[in-house]
Amino acid sequence: MNETLNNIEVAMFYLMIIAYLLSTVMYWLTLVSKKVWLEHLATGITILGLAGNTVALIVRTIIAQRPPLSNGYEFILTFCWGIVAVYLFAEFRYKIKALGSFVMPLPFLLLTFIIMKMGPEERVASAIPPALKSQWLTFHVITAMLAYGAFAISFGLGVMYLLKSRSDDENGKSNAKGWISRFPASQILDELAYKIIGFAFPLLTLCIITGAIWANYAWGTYWSWDPKETWSLITWIIYAAYLHVRLMYGWKGKKAAWMEVFGFLAVLFTFFGVNYLLPGLHSYA
Amino acid sequence: MNDQSEGVMEKVWNIFSSMKTGVFLLGVVAVVSGIGTLIPQEALDPKGAQSVSAIWKTLGFTHLYATIWFRLVLGLLCVNLIVCSVQRFSGIYRKTFKPNPPQSSKAIPQKIQAKISGPESELRAAVMKVLTGKGYRLTTSEQEGRWSFIAQKRRWGNWGSLLTHLAFVVLILGALVGSMIGFKGYFMAGVGDTLPIKQIEVSKGNVNENFSMKINSAEDRKLANGERDNWYTDMSIIESGKEVARQTLSVNHPFTYQGVTFYQANFAQGGKFTVDLKGQKIPVVLQDQGGNYFQVPGTDLYLFLSAMKADPKAPVVLYQVYQGNSPIKMGQMSLGQADNIDNTFTLTFDGMAGYTGLQVKKDPGVNVVWLGCALLMLGLILSFYWRPHTLSGIIETKKESSLLLGAVRGRLAVGTQEEFNQAVTDVEGLITAGSAGS
Repeated sequence: MNETLNNIEVAMFYLMIIAYLLSTVMYWLTLVSKKVWLEHLATGITILGLAGNTVALIVRTIIAQRPPLSNGYEFILTFCWGIVAVYLFAEFRYKIKALGSFVMPLPFLLLTFIIMKMGPEERVASAIPPALKSQWLTFHVITAMLAYGAFAISFGLGVMYLLKSRSDDENGKSNAKGWISRFPASQILDELAYKIIGFAFPLLTLCIITGAIWANYAWGTYWSWDPKETWSLITWIIYAAYLHVRLMYGWKGKKAAWMEVFGFLAVLFTFFGVNYLLPGLHSYA
Repeated sequence: MNDQSEGVMEKVWNIFSSMKTGVFLLGVVAVVSGIGTLIPQEALDPKGAQSVSAIWKTLGFTHLYATIWFRLVLGLLCVNLIVCSVQRFSGIYRKTFKPNPPQSSKAIPQKIQAKISGPESELRAAVMKVLTGKGYRLTTSEQEGRWSFIAQKRRWGNWGSLLTHLAFVVLILGALVGSMIGFKGYFMAGVGDTLPIKQIEVSKGNVNENFSMKINSAEDRKLANGERDNWYTDMSIIESGKEVARQTLSVNHPFTYQGVTFYQANFAQGGKFTVDLKGQKIPVVLQDQGGNYFQVPGTDLYLFLSAMKADPKAPVVLYQVYQGNSPIKMGQMSLGQADNIDNTFTLTFDGMAGYTGLQVKKDPGVNVVWLGCALLMLGLILSFYWRPHTLSGIIETKKESSLLLGAVRGRLAVGTQEEFNQAVTDVEGLITAGSAGS
């Protein structure tokens, strides 16, 4: 029984990685070719990848008898799910297909990281220490997944803005030629990124708070300044600053777009950098 | 107060009421916090912190988050947040509860604006119908030759930002309360031990409580598949010799008594012994690997459990006896076996006993911190998921019979424009329908 499930999980993992790679390539092709069927195909493959991702997570839940949120491998799968789910929502809601070219490489690269850096022993559904047996962990990781997913989208929008705005004239009118001309107007990209960060920021806050509540149950301290906590605070401050300077100096457009890119790098550092470069309590994920 | 000091006061007030100061201070917090993750901190990595050169230690780089100047930055941030909030309060209050309809067409927001022509009474009726239908609250004003209104939807969203900022102050206050009063400590005890709370190892603060803790049982429970389920401690609180509370705690399931919380933090195996001292039988629980010792009463003999084989069916222990600082005897015993030590006492090994490690904490600030978190979330939800919309309009009958309508742009120009266009279309629809009907 478990062997069959394991095989399904492995199959789904490869389905995901192939689908995310293919959809990245498809989205890139839609930038240079105007074929509508290509766009539909790109979206279709992304949905297929998300389906594989979902099945992989469900199968892992059945194998491990707990939510699949307890080691680096499981968290990357949830992180990818968050990015792709929020991306598909944004694509359907705001009809910006070109966004896929900048967002879909992210889940593909994350999965490649698993293949290159994680041995089988790191991927296996193992027993978890008593400290991780908490409902708060589930809330903590789900809020992180949605917030990180949304920050990935704002990163993609920031990159698009930077490409698009290079050809804007003084009045903000675009003179872009070629594939960039099919991006939405830079003001729309800018505002959408702001909106998405506005969606993600309360979730990041909730992620930090649920982490604090859980730490208080497990270790009796809600905040111990361990590197993971501290870097999540730094990420939080970067996005808080983004929200403030927008009001204060009217930092929209280019500066805001750079902050969107920079903020997501802080997210990645909080997730990977801290685990691989700095030591701490968060040795689990 | 003379003019000069008033001038200084004003400058200080201006600095603290500025958002720039706030963002700058947040930046300082971010940079300092980041540095703290690169240099080993005493609280997290005491050995690493020892290896840092003395000058950095003196400057506080190995306990950054506890330094006076880091706290000073947080304090200044609090002052900044409070001053900003005080300054914004009345504006937000007026905007929410006492909105002012525009007095002239110049007061209508210009960037998002539209003009709808039609008979005055129909325009009035249409705009009121459409906006109330969309959930707006209207405040109208009627003066000679002029009718105007201001309409708001989701007006509580105006309070989001203020609430978020004050919540931050509450959070910092909660943390401050926790660091000033309350205590943090740790103890390890074996099954059957009773320990006054004043005797635990305290790493911060002072213990003023007077009760004792009795460990009824301690267990390292395994699941059927051999994996660890959890560590469990059944513990009683004893006050004046009476049991006043009893609970089983485990990792992630702490137990709180009179504001003091016990957290399961550690577990070790131990052994139960009986020391027979000239007929006086004393039960003793010793922790494996020499975690504690027992001083035989009236002697300078100390008893240690150096090692044990924790086989539940046939446990074996290796004990050591010291006289002062020098070891005088070492021996191995299996279950039920007894040894005579130095002709002073007899030691019997009675079986295995769990040895539990509990973190003890009293933090009266923690509820203030949770209150701050709740306010923070409420403020953020109001700010980002409950954005207010404000529309205003005016009909100046002296000029022409038309309604000038505008929307406050807020932070999302595109979204506001969409909402505004929809309202304009609906009003126009009603006017055309009305004209067609008449």
